[in-house]
Amino acid sequence: MRPPRLGWRFWRRFSQVVFLLAFLWLFRETELRDEDVPGYVNIAFRLDPLVAASAMLAAKALIAGLLLCLITVGVTLLFGRAFCGWVCPAGTLLDLVGKVMRIRSRRCNRTFNSLKPVRYWLLIAVLLGAAFGFPLVGYLDPFSILNQGLTLAVDPALSWSSFVLFDWLYQNGSEGVTNISEPIYAFLGEHVLAFERASYTGAWLMAGIVAAILLLERVQRRFWCRYLCPLGAMLGFIARLTPFGRRPAKACAGCLTCEHTCRMDAFDESHRLQPQACTVCMDCVTDCPNQIAQFLWFLPRKGRPPARAAQPVPMELSRRAFLGACAVGVGLPAVSTAGRAAGVIPSNVRLLRPPGALEGDEFLDLCVRCGECLKVCLTNGLQPVMLQAGPNGLFSPQLVPRTGYCEYNCLQCIEVCPTGAIRPLDLAAKQKFVIGEAVFDEDLCLPFAEREECIVCEEHCPIPTKAIRLKEVEVETADGQTRVIQEPFVDLDLCNGCGICENKCPLDGAPGIYVRPVAEEPSI
Amino acid sequence: MARRMRTNRRQFLEQVAAWSAGVAASAPVFRIAHAEEDAADTARSLIAVAKGKDYEGLVAKVLEPLGGIGKFVKKGDKVIVKPNMAWDRRPEQAANTHPDVVKALVKLVLDAGAKEVQVVDRTCADRRRSYRNSGIPKAIESIGDKRVTCPYFDERKVVPVKIEKGKVIQEWELYRDAVEADCYINVPIAKNHAIARLTLGLKNIMGVMGGDRGKIHRQLAESLADLNSVIVSKFTLIDATRILLRRGPQGGNLDDVKVLDTLIASTDMVAADAYATTLFDLKPEEIRSTVAGYEMGLGEINLDKVKIVNV
Repeated sequence: MRPPRLGWRFWRRFSQVVFLLAFLWLFRETELRDEDVPGYVNIAFRLDPLVAASAMLAAKALIAGLLLCLITVGVTLLFGRAFCGWVCPAGTLLDLVGKVMRIRSRRCNRTFNSLKPVRYWLLIAVLLGAAFGFPLVGYLDPFSILNQGLTLAVDPALSWSSFVLFDWLYQNGSEGVTNISEPIYAFLGEHVLAFERASYTGAWLMAGIVAAILLLERVQRRFWCRYLCPLGAMLGFIARLTPFGRRPAKACAGCLTCEHTCRMDAFDESHRLQPQACTVCMDCVTDCPNQIAQFLWFLPRKGRPPARAAQPVPMELSRRAFLGACAVGVGLPAVSTAGRAAGVIPSNVRLLRPPGALEGDEFLDLCVRCGECLKVCLTNGLQPVMLQAGPNGLFSPQLVPRTGYCEYNCLQCIEVCPTGAIRPLDLAAKQKFVIGEAVFDEDLCLPFAEREECIVCEEHCPIPTKAIRLKEVEVETADGQTRVIQEPFVDLDLCNGCGICENKCPLDGAPGIYVRPVAEEPSI
Repeated sequence: MARRMRTNRRQFLEQVAAWSAGVAASAPVFRIAHAEEDAADTARSLIAVAKGKDYEGLVAKVLEPLGGIGKFVKKGDKVIVKPNMAWDRRPEQAANTHPDVVKALVKLVLDAGAKEVQVVDRTCADRRRSYRNSGIPKAIESIGDKRVTCPYFDERKVVPVKIEKGKVIQEWELYRDAVEADCYINVPIAKNHAIARLTLGLKNIMGVMGGDRGKIHRQLAESLADLNSVIVSKFTLIDATRILLRRGPQGGNLDDVKVLDTLIASTDMVAADAYATTLFDLKPEEIRSTVAGYEMGLGEINLDKVKIVNV
């Protein structure tokens, strides 16, 4: 292939920036504004073959919505790991961070050569773990990490810091200042900032994880992609089949510029470029001192032997490492099951899950921790679980009613879930889906504890025929008088556990009514 | 769609010099005196009632006996139209003011030469969902006039207001544009409410309250009268095109809705509320906020002393 005008590097960077902006734009679209949340906001996860493979292995079923990832597989079959070099927003961010930090690493490109198989171990552990009930994809998929990082940490930090700044200017600035600052804030609010300022459990932990991955760039270029990324490993495995490759396949003896500058350290011991590592960034084509390197398809032609068949691509994975990774993939679920049986790891923890969520472990198996439901929840009520549900429940969503409730007419978390961990209920079914059940704390609730009238929970109960109703009761006041007040009660046949009662309860601190998980299987 | 607020602070700054000094410690306080001025208004004791299916046409009709919109809105006025759009409910569920009524009213206000019209409410349910489901922003947008906006309530844009006549509230943070407006028009829907029994004109003021407004539920009636003594509606237009008989204020069950095709307008909010109460087969004296408003001197509760014009 001949270089296009402006050169390969320009177009690769252009593509990276476009896809990064697209990712950020999709993120921004993942909330209700003037228009409904579009159905395509979760497309990054549906294009991700690692998410698809993990979810389908866990579900032991075909998930139609995830078949979109065949596009990525197809692109990889045609162009190798170009996805990693030209598309992946995490890769782009790493490149950007590397640029900003101006790394002039004197470290040899090969220092961490022994880490190369790690990504395959992780890939195997992810896939086997998914099949045997301990999915790791949510903790290792680059899209999951990136999207959760944006949702839990970056976006709230941006919203709150802008709010503090612009509100301070608004409260204290002169008219001249606010005439400038307020339009800026309005513009940011319209185009950059989240609609509502949210905050999340685990934000600092997630910020730390993302920061750590970005800072690894200081150690070596594309450290994450070279050694750790299981999605990259998966695409690399597919890339071994592509007829697309570089000519000359080997770095020229006596020069080796391409080998020494390769961001992926994609050349093996015999100086041959490895398609399972190469992200087709084209730097070696652009920077070739002799301008002889180029990428092209090795199509079988008469009189020429098929190039790949003659040169089988070796895996960078020893048999021992492969077996070890398999052992981890199978062992983790086994250890987890044993731990649960022994009571060391929490088991059968019932939490308030999003409406339509699958039951217990089934939900955790399919939840890829993409963070989409946390992001889209209208009320900020969906929050990441930390370790309450055991190690495989980390960062899965739960409803925390005191923070935010499940809006009666809203279907958004259902609509953005890429894997079906939250089942695609329609509005009528969602409104009947039981998240939990509301119970009064009669030691706190005003009509019970203080014999004072308060109907806020009844007022807000969205069930058309009211799951919280009032009955008149005669009460004795402290001074011995009797009077009639309205006392609320919950009709559990109607209550869906949306949590608005707990959310709106006017008591400071602990609420007078709260939602608890139901003991038995909820029905749809 | 631009729903963000555009605020002209000039007037406000002229009124409160301390504000521009940027001293947060000396919180500015408003004193509003036009309650007395309006008390002398002869149109007070008049209630106009109109019935009909064409809600848009009905609005102009019901305002005629009061002297038409021109009597309230002058050229260049900044106007607040305060409907109820606090709940994530559709128009037919009778939890929010009917969008056709609001639209017709806004059109009249614009035709009267208003410089800026703001249709605003502090919602109870999610503001995005409530605004959309109410149908009001869409109806306002369909007018296609840039002078009218339908911004979300901005909780920063409130000012503490002293309530000199207040019996239970002496000061509260209120929506600044509502405090500053040349003309404040109250467009509530008539509906059932668990504590207040009915929510009508007086209670609609809660949509321009800042702060933790849930707290006033303990002495709701008196609080509402107090608040209406400082933000005075030029007139109240009660939407009883359909009313919510039970399970208010949120409703949601169409069995609880009764279609009446009625609008009630008056410069006397208490009288308007009193009349609307009769639509629910209740007596005006049974609604505590109406009584409190009467006792505050905001209007007449006795319908025998009020002129009722059916149009």
